[in-house]
Amino acid sequence: MDIQYLGEHLFIGKLGNFFVVLCFVAALFSSYAYFQTAKENELTPSWKKLARGGFLVHAAAVFGIAGTLFYMIFNHYFEYQYVWQHSNKSLPLQYMLSCFWEGQEGSFLLWTFWHAVLGMFLIKTSKTWEAPVMTVFSSVQVFLASMLLGIIISDYRLGSNPFLLLREHPEFQDLPFTKVPNYLENLDGKGLNPLLQNYWMVIHPPILFLGFASTVVPFCFAIAGLWKQKFGEWVKPALSWTFFGIMIFGVGILMGGAWAYESLSFGGFWAWDPVENASLVPWLTMVGAGHVMLIYKTNNRSLTTVLFLTIITFVLVLYSTFLTRSGILGDTSVHAFTDLGMSGQLLVYLLFYLFLGIGLIVFHRNKIKSLGSEESSSSREFWMFIGSLVLLISSFQIIFTTSIPVINKVLGTNLAPPLKPVEHYNSWQMPIAVVIALLIAIGQYFNYRKTDIKKFYKKITISFVVASILTVIGIFVFELKNFFYIALFLTSTFSITANLDYLIRILKGKISKAGASVAHIGFGMILLGALVSAGTSQTISVNTSGTDISKLGETFNNADNIMLAKGDTLKMGPYFVAYTGKEKRGINVYFKVEYFTKNADNTYTPEFVLEPLIQLNERMGNAAEPDTRHFLHKDVYTHITYADLENLNADTTSYTEAKAKTIAIGDTIFTSNSILVLEGLVKNIDKQRYSLAETDLAVGALFKVFNFEKKLSNLMPVFVLKGNRIESISAIENNLGLKINFVKLNPETGKVDVEVSEKVSNKKDFIIMKAIIFPAINILWFGCIIMAIGTVLAIIKRAKTQSTKKVSE
Amino acid sequence: MKKTHIIGIIVIALAIAAILTTVADSSTYATFTEAQASPDNEFHVVGKLSKNKPLEYNPEVNANLFGFYMVDNNGVERKVLFNGTKPQDFERSEQIVITGQCSDSEFKATKILMKCPSKYNDGSEMKVLEAKS
Repeated sequence: MDIQYLGEHLFIGKLGNFFVVLCFVAALFSSYAYFQTAKENELTPSWKKLARGGFLVHAAAVFGIAGTLFYMIFNHYFEYQYVWQHSNKSLPLQYMLSCFWEGQEGSFLLWTFWHAVLGMFLIKTSKTWEAPVMTVFSSVQVFLASMLLGIIISDYRLGSNPFLLLREHPEFQDLPFTKVPNYLENLDGKGLNPLLQNYWMVIHPPILFLGFASTVVPFCFAIAGLWKQKFGEWVKPALSWTFFGIMIFGVGILMGGAWAYESLSFGGFWAWDPVENASLVPWLTMVGAGHVMLIYKTNNRSLTTVLFLTIITFVLVLYSTFLTRSGILGDTSVHAFTDLGMSGQLLVYLLFYLFLGIGLIVFHRNKIKSLGSEESSSSREFWMFIGSLVLLISSFQIIFTTSIPVINKVLGTNLAPPLKPVEHYNSWQMPIAVVIALLIAIGQYFNYRKTDIKKFYKKITISFVVASILTVIGIFVFELKNFFYIALFLTSTFSITANLDYLIRILKGKISKAGASVAHIGFGMILLGALVSAGTSQTISVNTSGTDISKLGETFNNADNIMLAKGDTLKMGPYFVAYTGKEKRGINVYFKVEYFTKNADNTYTPEFVLEPLIQLNERMGNAAEPDTRHFLHKDVYTHITYADLENLNADTTSYTEAKAKTIAIGDTIFTSNSILVLEGLVKNIDKQRYSLAETDLAVGALFKVFNFEKKLSNLMPVFVLKGNRIESISAIENNLGLKINFVKLNPETGKVDVEVSEKVSNKKDFIIMKAIIFPAINILWFGCIIMAIGTVLAIIKRAKTQSTKKVSE
Repeated sequence: MKKTHIIGIIVIALAIAAILTTVADSSTYATFTEAQASPDNEFHVVGKLSKNKPLEYNPEVNANLFGFYMVDNNGVERKVLFNGTKPQDFERSEQIVITGQCSDSEFKATKILMKCPSKYNDGSEMKVLEAKS
């Protein structure tokens, strides 16, 4: 039985599928044609033409897939599962691109997209290396394209296709809606996860993926070099690519940190989360690779290390993708990904390239190792080599701990991740950072080959003295006590001063040669900023009230979270903090938290207002997003850890049940937000104002109302006798949500009966919040920018020297 | 001995040290019974929230103390005291991993990792939340 579905756009999906298949086939073809070209050493020019054509068709198909998918999202074609799953009709235009990286298919597409772009640049620039490099490159593209195929080969689904129809998707194909011809009429998509509707999530993933993608270029050069037995010649053309990758990848990782800092709840830019680690580790090995490449370029040494680090960087990118996409981290990471059934496929690619790369190194080991003489320990290259090894150890330690779930799977063990992950990683990474910072500081003062040690000491003395003075100041300002904090403060400051000094005195400020120094200053700043902001951050929301729970156990304390009722003002560090109300805008509930400072005369000066929010995220559950006040020298971070959201929709008109009180003149009544004092009884009531008849008897009870800001207002409920009927005219204070009824007058005692009620919304409105001061975190962000600038300078210089060389040739 | 050999030995020694530290710092998954047997050690316990038992959270008294009952994978139920605020959506959690010590038949947790199913029930999405003291 064929159902004629209404309103479906089937052509566009077929077009998309055509592009997917074309993308795969063209990559396969291009790889084969390039292989033939390389094998014959370009004897048959037609192979090369075909190979280039094949790659261009492949790239066009990748753009076609992206374009088709975007067109479908833009036009809300919810008959397609990917569109339905990741977008909806109300999605703003700027977030439509984010749909690409919400789903796994889309993120593979983004990766493939950057590869296609890089590949075209490679064809343009790699000259004699084009054929062997592009053979490897296109083979990578074959693998990536297969992730999008979604073809079922005897029960095994190869890849996951973004152009699958909703009604044909394995999870939905048996549901009743697939039998309804007009199911599309009222269908809206599930929408983009609101957590991703954030400007950082628009720019961070493409940059990080470009970083991931950039690792493939040096890898392809290395494999091509091993294959064509030009073991070292590939280093020169690959060098600029490597440093380009180091820059983009580094910026991408820190942007992820900035996103976490601005919009996630863990309070900081780095938490050693497995997903963060998985992207940091290949960056570390890539930095190592870049530096040993420089060694090889100057004196043809350390080639095995160059090859190993370059190959392992790309394999680690694949491994990182495997970790985050296979669901294997499920129990250990807050970044949850579920398996789309592609982890097996990823594992095959990973092992293929790992064995290919390492196998080639082992096979050619004797030819690679031909240069075996010793490096002088007073040479720059010796210390650069040591630095790269230190980075390798650093990345090994991180990836090993991160891989605990994988180790459990492979060995059948039952290890749980460290109880205190931050302390665990820091116990290794802090000393490593100290060593790295020291190497960065002294590295440039060593000459290539051999250095006069006396001159070396002379040159670095000034910057070391300056750094030591700054460190002593730092110890007092930031109250540093931990030995490693002080050591890292000293070495990272030293790395900044030494490179600055090198830049000024030795390079005489020549910007064109300053790349390395500037980049190293930036990295030193990143280390210093990370140390100071994370190491000396101060949680100011210390709970001083309430029962002491530290008696429950050694690890228990009262700290960190504090309850703040609406209207209350509590002291937090240098501030006084008040919670003044909440407001719902869209899907977000904003909590207004006001910061004051106290003056000498006990008055308060408002400093700033923060609005941390809780996102009512139906899809992923409610999520809290912090708000941070940025100063030049520190940040004040404020985060809601708990709020009662049940009364959120309670109307602001209804009142709680009234409380009856009998009071005399001068007595006080306390409400949740104010104090009422009965001033006296008023007999001459303006009867017209209350529309009473002249014969009615009316008495008012005059209350003075003080709220907690000591502002004063009057309230007067009126008691009326209309013949023998009693009426009561209530008095309402809208700002405070108060209502008072004058119910009865007792002439004998002079006391009055009143009923006080408060608005439902007054009741129990409080937040539990956390406030942290991060000192000097701006050093970190500026450092990131400076490092990127420095790396760009180095790349430009290299490009220039290469082109002038060509002219002189 | 050549310098490269010395460096090589140091690198290998550091790598082994890294592995050993990881193993030493790593925790173990345990049941409540096992955790109670060695009250001085910290464990990871995996289980489910006892949804018929009350959740105790009184921020007016202490914002950093949250109590609930959990059944571990062997079906043993214990009261858990968590040094922190009540995590968002805790009631909806499908699986909980707690970290801490078990003494006096109460488990004192310093970390909670929970998995919640997505409200749109396609089963493919899970949210994992982490709460720390």
